Amino acid sequence: MTTLATTVATTRPARRRRVLPRITPLDILSIVWVIVLLIFAVVPMLWMLSTSLKGQFAALQQPPEWIPSHPTLQNYITLLSPTGDVGPVFLRYFLNSLIVSLATTALGVLVAIPAAYAFSRFRFPGRDILFFAVLVRNMFPVVVFLIPLFILMRTLHLVNTYWSLILTYMTFGLPLSIWLLKGFYDNIPEELERAARIDGASRFKAFWLIIMPLSSPGIIATAIYAFIGAWNEYVYALTFLNSESLLTLPVGLQHFFTEFATNWPGLMAAAFIMSVPVVVLFLLLQRHFVRALTEGAIKA
Amino acid sequence: MTVRRPHRATLADIRRHRTDYLWIAPALLVMILVIGYPFVYTIDLSFYDTPPSSPNWYFNGVDNYIQILSDKSFWAITLNTVYWAVGSTVFAFLIGLGAALVVQRDFIGRGLLRGLLLIPYVISYVAAALIWRWLYHSDYGLISGTLYDLYLIDSNINFLDSTSLVMPSLIVANVWKEFPFAMIMMLAGLQTVPQQLLNAARVDGAGAWQRFWHVTVPYLRGVILITTILLFVGNLNSFVLVWIMTGGGPANASQIWITQVYTLAFQSLQYGRASAYSVILFIVMLGLGFFYVRALTGGRAREAR
Repeated sequence: MTTLATTVATTRPARRRRVLPRITPLDILSIVWVIVLLIFAVVPMLWMLSTSLKGQFAALQQPPEWIPSHPTLQNYITLLSPTGDVGPVFLRYFLNSLIVSLATTALGVLVAIPAAYAFSRFRFPGRDILFFAVLVRNMFPVVVFLIPLFILMRTLHLVNTYWSLILTYMTFGLPLSIWLLKGFYDNIPEELERAARIDGASRFKAFWLIIMPLSSPGIIATAIYAFIGAWNEYVYALTFLNSESLLTLPVGLQHFFTEFATNWPGLMAAAFIMSVPVVVLFLLLQRHFVRALTEGAIKA
Repeated sequence: MTVRRPHRATLADIRRHRTDYLWIAPALLVMILVIGYPFVYTIDLSFYDTPPSSPNWYFNGVDNYIQILSDKSFWAITLNTVYWAVGSTVFAFLIGLGAALVVQRDFIGRGLLRGLLLIPYVISYVAAALIWRWLYHSDYGLISGTLYDLYLIDSNINFLDSTSLVMPSLIVANVWKEFPFAMIMMLAGLQTVPQQLLNAARVDGAGAWQRFWHVTVPYLRGVILITTILLFVGNLNSFVLVWIMTGGGPANASQIWITQVYTLAFQSLQYGRASAYSVILFIVMLGLGFFYVRALTGGRAREAR
């Protein structure tokens, strides 16, 4: 009681002081720091955008033009028009990326949900060991698995198909998905299912009707993670696919780069288009996304 | 505790819980196929000499390992790897923590600032690598050009083609990409620091720095540990940025373990050697993983208390 009283007594003058705009050295330091931080984080992206709005000649101007004096959308039109040399190829890459990422996300979530639920609720023998094994996956260098996986995909006749990528991305995403979802399930009180079970629902029915609706934020977050991971992946796509019509954007962009080595504006426009879906998705669902990532950290 | 259950109960236990396994079966199945099998295969392959360097696969014991470890370039690459991983981790962490400390405060436009700072984290490594290649471009790059304009340099700098500048340049790009991750983690951690405790310290006359160092940091120890370990392991595994920006060059100045594995496997086609390299990498990660899991479970034990 006494401590509370003193706290209240001492914070009151402090609060009154805050009404007057008194700027402390710490505030100035913070503002300077925020500006430095913003420059560091944002300028590279603005530069990508600015370059993508320039013609080839303007992009190579020295000193560099921060804001293009003759902005043009030509690079975007070239990339996105379904006719012409570049457009159809680029749109094909985009579509491939979309197919692979959506399939990965759907399958990944479908497989991760029951596993995460089981790890959260059931106490079967080997549970701890298995969960540990799932977590340790994060320690594996992905590049290491390229050779054996390539051989595996060849035996399964999956090389040069979407499925080779979908299967790989889905599996590599699983540990994180399971971990994130388990965090959400751990936070849902078990009494809810118990009540349903007492009312005669089966374990699956209790899960389906009670837990699934409650965990939808977790599912959304997990899905975003899976999607972004698949959308951005490069190394496996580079190795597993060799037919031009199947390439995903990150690899396609690399092709684009070697073919049009000097066309920086075109390349920046392509990089921008590639970033749009993930950035938009992320900004729309920022809250879920951040929450999912921090779920583990808060608990630790 | 549950792991050390007596053996005799296990079989009956398994039978009693057999439907439980159905829930994890699909996940387990694909993980055995896509992770378990390649893992065993890699270890096996690391003890063989493979074609093209020999006509057939033949078992050569630990020869691959000996050759790797006795190769002079291995230690140079190891040094690069440490430089890369430690440098990236330290700076990404410090900048992320600094960002979290400002974004945590209440002000207009906080959400916008947070969103802007997080964007580098979501875009792909390929896009990031291309953007930074363009920024570092020796003739037309923004960085070189701007420094020249400000009379800070008198000739263009070739960031990625200089053996001394290439690693710092790559680390800057990498820090740009991953500091937001540290920011989110620390932001989450900061929310767990009890406000009353900070207020109490303020009442007792502790300055901002003292409050941060003596109240906030001890509270965040677990999160700091997990964040840095995740960053570090991520950096050891980080392939794309280095590969697209420099390919390990110039003259191996930016060659790190993971790019070396790729080069061995897909350019020299020495699968056996590359596998041995991978196993070494894996052992190092396993050591780190041990600390990681201990940090995680240590945190859980504290929560239970």
